[in-house]
Amino acid sequence: MILFYILAFVLIASAIFVITAQKAVYSVVGLLVHFAALAIMYFSLAAEFLAVIQIIVYSGAILMLFVFVIALLSSGVAPFSVGPNRLPKIAGPVLFGVIVTLGFLVYGVAHIPAAAVHPITASASAAGPVGAANVFGSVADFGKALFTTDLLPFEITAFILMVAVIGVILLAGDSAPYVQSRRRARIVERDMREAILRAGEE
Amino acid sequence: MSNHIMGVPGSYPILFVIWLVPLLGAVLCWAFGPQLKRFAGVLGSAAIGISFIAALVAWGIATQTSGAQTGAQQPLFTWLQGFDFGLLLDPLSLIWVFIITGVGFLIHLYSVGYMWNDNAVARFFAYLNFFVFAMLTLVLSDNFVGLLVGWGLVGLASYFLIGFWFFKPSAVAAARKAFVINVVGDVGIMFAIFIIVTKAGSIRFADVFANPHALDPWLFWTCVFLFIGAAAKSAQLPLHTWLPDAMEGPTPVSALIHAATMVTAGVYLVARCAPLWSASQDAQTLVGTVGALTALAGALLGLAQWDIKRILAYSTMSQIGYMIMGVGVGAFSAGVAHFFTHAFFKACLFLGSGIIIHELADEQDIRLMGGMRKRTPVAFWAMGAAVLAIIGFPGFAGYFSKDQVIFGALEHGYVWMWAVGLLTAGITAYYMLRLFFVTFLGSYRGEMNPADVGIQTQVAASAATIAHETHEPHAEDHAHAPAWIMAVPVAILGFFSFAAGYIMIGPGSPWAQFFDRSFPHETLPPATISEGVTTGLAVLMLVIGGAIAYQRYATRQALADAPARLKRESETLPAILVRLYYWDDLIELLVVRPSQRLGEFFGRWFDPHFVDGVVREVVLTNRFLGTLVRSFQTGLLRAYALIIVFGAACFAVYYALEGALR
Amino acid sequence: MHESLLPVALVNYISLSLVIFLIGVAGVVLRRNPLVMLMSIELMWNAANLLFLTFARVWLNNAGHIFAFLVITVAAAEAAIGLAIVVVVFRARQNVDVDEVAILKG
Repeated sequence: MILFYILAFVLIASAIFVITAQKAVYSVVGLLVHFAALAIMYFSLAAEFLAVIQIIVYSGAILMLFVFVIALLSSGVAPFSVGPNRLPKIAGPVLFGVIVTLGFLVYGVAHIPAAAVHPITASASAAGPVGAANVFGSVADFGKALFTTDLLPFEITAFILMVAVIGVILLAGDSAPYVQSRRRARIVERDMREAILRAGEE
Repeated sequence: MSNHIMGVPGSYPILFVIWLVPLLGAVLCWAFGPQLKRFAGVLGSAAIGISFIAALVAWGIATQTSGAQTGAQQPLFTWLQGFDFGLLLDPLSLIWVFIITGVGFLIHLYSVGYMWNDNAVARFFAYLNFFVFAMLTLVLSDNFVGLLVGWGLVGLASYFLIGFWFFKPSAVAAARKAFVINVVGDVGIMFAIFIIVTKAGSIRFADVFANPHALDPWLFWTCVFLFIGAAAKSAQLPLHTWLPDAMEGPTPVSALIHAATMVTAGVYLVARCAPLWSASQDAQTLVGTVGALTALAGALLGLAQWDIKRILAYSTMSQIGYMIMGVGVGAFSAGVAHFFTHAFFKACLFLGSGIIIHELADEQDIRLMGGMRKRTPVAFWAMGAAVLAIIGFPGFAGYFSKDQVIFGALEHGYVWMWAVGLLTAGITAYYMLRLFFVTFLGSYRGEMNPADVGIQTQVAASAATIAHETHEPHAEDHAHAPAWIMAVPVAILGFFSFAAGYIMIGPGSPWAQFFDRSFPHETLPPATISEGVTTGLAVLMLVIGGAIAYQRYATRQALADAPARLKRESETLPAILVRLYYWDDLIELLVVRPSQRLGEFFGRWFDPHFVDGVVREVVLTNRFLGTLVRSFQTGLLRAYALIIVFGAACFAVYYALEGALR
Repeated sequence: MHESLLPVALVNYISLSLVIFLIGVAGVVLRRNPLVMLMSIELMWNAANLLFLTFARVWLNNAGHIFAFLVITVAAAEAAIGLAIVVVVFRARQNVDVDEVAILKG
């Protein structure tokens, strides 16, 4: 119980730090703290595999990506705010309204009687040795689901990642094939023109 | 009984010669006009002549009989189940083929002289040949659809011919009018064919006529729709107005269209469909009534005309009325007989008037004629014979056929039509003799001031002027065509105007035998008034009409003060006749004006305010919506994010409320 | 419902998730730095994930785990593409102020 409140405090504080930090690299540090706290929270919810994934994928991969991009962009002048703030004045009140509304909703949700909620059938026993099969949240249990009953989402993740890879290569890759060929065509054209000019002079 | 329509099936190449040689002539004249020049006339005439000779040769097969069948039937092809196309030559179509090609040939020959100086001789003969081909298609077809095709082609050909001098606005208008009214008739026949195909399941005459009552209960309406076509083509009330206007074409065209062929297509249609009419008493009454009224109306209008061709046009209308009355009431062979004699004397009258018009350099007003006996003796003698024929002078062709028609109406029980026929005979005698006397007797009035003989407008003169311009520049060239080219056909026709009636004397005449098997026989109660009395009355009416005409136009005294008399008459003609019963004005009022109003309504109001309005409203609405949506497209990423959050919050609120209220 | 499996009441988890989510929203809307905006989006993904795992625990159903797994994948892809876009924009304009990148303005 104590753990939850500590974690909740850390999570909220780090999140606020993320969005308020002056430099993007500080935000990354805040986000790193946030993800670590969240991984602990996942453990407390018996989601062992996802807790590990949280650390590896988020902290290890995505945040590294952020750091690399920051390093890439910050080499010159500060490029993040060159013009005036164009956000309409209405944005503040709207945002405030949304926050208040959702707050009230959560307050309402908290008072829904437990009997009114109909859970789906449980798929595993509540507790057991860590890592054992047929225990909720264990890696074995999760893996089994991933490769049997929930194979389709798993395959979809593969597809999504493939799309992302191709998209990123096309967007940012300097070796995009069409660019290459166009550049090469231009070079050939220039060579030919020069050759013709030379032939004319001779 | 009616199976005669079938004809004896077989292979008859001669039918194709009759049918297609005029088309060949038309194509050649059309294609090689510049090379042929005046030789086009010879070529066109030769084509019709060949067709005529072929028709003579085909006499034998047209009258052959085999069992109940008469004539020759040549299958062409089958399009669909029940749509068998073929050619049919039986006594009825043979008569028409004779007139079309025979009289047509004479008219062609005459045209060679008449159009000698026109620049577009080849085009003219192409049209003439095409017209003959269209008519032959009409009369040689053995089914309703083929007949309709011919019907439409005739309308097209008449459009070409009436509008031949296309630089005359009046000619173009007349051609358009003729075409439009003819199309009304085409549509009528089309509806009849719809009924026939639906009810009888075949378009062949043979199948339809074998059992006319298969069309019940639509038999009467079939006849009505067919007759709408016939009325439009034959200038029957109320579709007659195109005929007088059609005089805008060259005179040989008038002769060909009016006398020989086109306008009698309606007579042909009714005679061909005799089994249908015989089966429907109502249709007989309707057609007979229209015919009788047209005969009278046309004769009355003929009283008030001064243009020589228009007088003849109204006399045509009147005589066609006789024919329609004859075939309508069931006296089929009488109606056809009148067609036969009429073809000669009316062609003769038109061609004779053409000689006069030619002589007077395109003057058509008889008030500016007079004394033409000396200048155009051939026309005088031939037209004399023709006038005597048309008024039914004893011994001349019209005498025999017209009596048959009038008596036929009585025989079939229509006493009032008989009376109208007799009355019309008297009126005909008056106005035809008036035409004859005013034109040929007295002294030439062409040098007089038109106003002195009562001509108020200069329309006729200007028309003549325009017609002049179509010829080559020098007026002296008129005499170049050999005179005999125009004289011979007129003389031949004049002879037949006298002689054509002698084959139809008495019940056992060659004519009656010829048609013995063609028309349904009816046993009729003996007429209350004998044929002799009818003839006597007709002659009496003729004498009265003729005497009045003689008294007014031909006595020595009348000839002396002719100009003054003509002037006085011109001014005192009843307006209703001069304005043609206000019929054109009525059509203008009832059809043309409302159409124009409707067009204006759609053009000025409906289209700009409704159609365009709807379009404009759509545009404005879209523009408004676009502006609305565009105001959200700030290009500001963070604003988009805010909107998304707002939308998500709305969803959350909605589900929360839905859950709370459940 | 096995709320007893949670150390604290369910409403605490929901509230925590909501707060993190709203912080992420605020970050996206209020910050102009695209990198911080992307990080805020990551915050929102994770708030959602927290909720998934909480309810998976409460209902003892690992469909929530599968979903969270999917979310992580999508988030990774999104971050990769988002950063690629940032790089491309920076290459073209020498700055990445999101308020200036507005050529699709209607």
